[in-house]
Amino acid sequence: MILRLALASLFARALTVGMTILAIALSVMLFLGVEKVRTGAKASFADTISGTDLIVGARSGSVQLLLYSVFRIGNATNNVTWQSYQDIAARPEIDWIVPISLGDSHRQFRVMGTTREFFDRYKYRQGRSLAIAQGAVMDDLFDTVIGADVAATLGYRVGDPIVVAHGLASFTEHKDQPFRISGILAKTGTPVDRTVIVSLQAIEAIHVDWRSGAQIPGQSTPVDVIRQMDLTPKAVTAALIGVQSPLQTFRLQRAINEYPQEPLLAVLPGVALQELWAIVGIAETALLAVSAMVVVTALIGMMATIFSSLNERRREMAIFRAMGARPGTIFGLLVIEAMLTAAMGAVLGLALLYAGLFVAQPVLDSAFGLWLPIDAPSLREGLVLAGVVAAGALVSLVPAFRAYRLSLADGMMVKS
Amino acid sequence: MKQTISLIALLAATPALAQDTRHMDAHEHGVGALYIAIDGTTVAMEFSAPGADIVGFEYAAQSEADRAAVDAAVATLATPLDLFVMPAEAGCSVTQASAALESEYEAHGDHDHDEHEHEDVHEHEDHEEHAEEAGHTEFHAQYTLTCANPQALTEIAFAYFDRFENAREVEVQILGPSGAQAFEVERDAPTLDLRSLF
Repeated sequence: MILRLALASLFARALTVGMTILAIALSVMLFLGVEKVRTGAKASFADTISGTDLIVGARSGSVQLLLYSVFRIGNATNNVTWQSYQDIAARPEIDWIVPISLGDSHRQFRVMGTTREFFDRYKYRQGRSLAIAQGAVMDDLFDTVIGADVAATLGYRVGDPIVVAHGLASFTEHKDQPFRISGILAKTGTPVDRTVIVSLQAIEAIHVDWRSGAQIPGQSTPVDVIRQMDLTPKAVTAALIGVQSPLQTFRLQRAINEYPQEPLLAVLPGVALQELWAIVGIAETALLAVSAMVVVTALIGMMATIFSSLNERRREMAIFRAMGARPGTIFGLLVIEAMLTAAMGAVLGLALLYAGLFVAQPVLDSAFGLWLPIDAPSLREGLVLAGVVAAGALVSLVPAFRAYRLSLADGMMVKS
Repeated sequence: MKQTISLIALLAATPALAQDTRHMDAHEHGVGALYIAIDGTTVAMEFSAPGADIVGFEYAAQSEADRAAVDAAVATLATPLDLFVMPAEAGCSVTQASAALESEYEAHGDHDHDEHEHEDVHEHEDHEEHAEEAGHTEFHAQYTLTCANPQALTEIAFAYFDRFENAREVEVQILGPSGAQAFEVERDAPTLDLRSLF
């Protein structure tokens, strides 16, 4: 009875109530969206590397090394000399080691030099391996394998020629060496999608005619001469390592960190990610606090509209009283109205969130490599929504109590 | 002749250059580090803590009392299950444990200490010669445990904080079946919850 009354009452004031619902919906969408992006980013990062025990690079910071070598974000780390790489690769603890050489680009995409073993050893999303969607893993010196996003963005097919440039966003492109696409990888949702993969020797080959960062004028080594050259790399950017037994991981890490000939750093990917979250966590909390404040603001806005409606509804309340409604009923009516408003706001907010996710998902994925899964609302989100409704009821208590007190005597007599 | 001399000079200089690598590990008083790796039923642990945490001083032991304190600390550090208490259900027993005091100056000539872990309990006596130097010292310990039921390793109670009053915090890194994780265990909450590991 009282519920029907509340619904009818809300419907009678559709415009103001609609605005309040919209305000609550937007704030709920913001709050849940921030939470979604936060957990999505975390999962996306955590899923990018799996099965690698250690990442080795020049001594910098563990977060910097991880971000640059795996996510290709942030400042470049120094290189590791080939000799040190060989020394580490020869250690008995090593099960497998895959070098990574970064620093060149193709259009907006990074070029990564590595070995064929990368395709077997690199794992993402709890141990999934890279899969070739078309073509094959590179076989020739000038073969490249490109990620799914590279192929989609630039419209490349297997067999297409490709030009690899020196440095990122450089205008001087390595026009001499004709690279060819030998394979296209299946979509992974990791930075590999936005990477052009070549062999380590190819990275050396690109730089044959380049000394101190600029091409020597009038000098261009023919391709067949390059093929005859010794293309052993002088340095690599980083290396992914698998250890024979987990028991040896920390010992190997210490040995690399104390490697006397060159300052090196070995990091456990999981621990480095945790370090990153510890830093990012502060900003996350701030963001979450701000969006929570927006929800609070919307609820206070609702309280203000209920207050202002009290004056308009004095006559209405008086009629209820005259018809036998007790002051408690008036109180309950207002609280239920507020809860309904908050609940509708919460549900609409959830609907807006999913609509937004649906639209933004491909954009976020291609622009930032951030994959936000569209799942059913989690228990946590359900609790947030229930919390909004409860908070709506809570803020309505103040105007409801006022209405309760007024309705005891007020409005029965028409004053003017 | 001149050439010969320069050659000799070069030869003499080369080893000096090769040894000229300076390296210092992080050293934060009050903060120890514990590394735990779990593989099947084997649990390997490495622990290190500043001398200040363990015995309260970092100069080389000079008095009888200092030496006794270091000996006692080394003996205590060689009993891992009394310091890092594991749940009884895990059924852990120590298969190997060793502890030693190292000064930073000594540590570099001693890289291979992994290999002779059983004999270095009294190694700290070699450090007399560094008495004049104001360096840091660190206790290092290595343990190998066998746990009949490693899934039951849901928590580790750090009785370590009761034994060593100057210790404030231990940074823990654990490699378990589901990858690597880092934790911080503080004196106020001396229990490490490992339920997320399995």
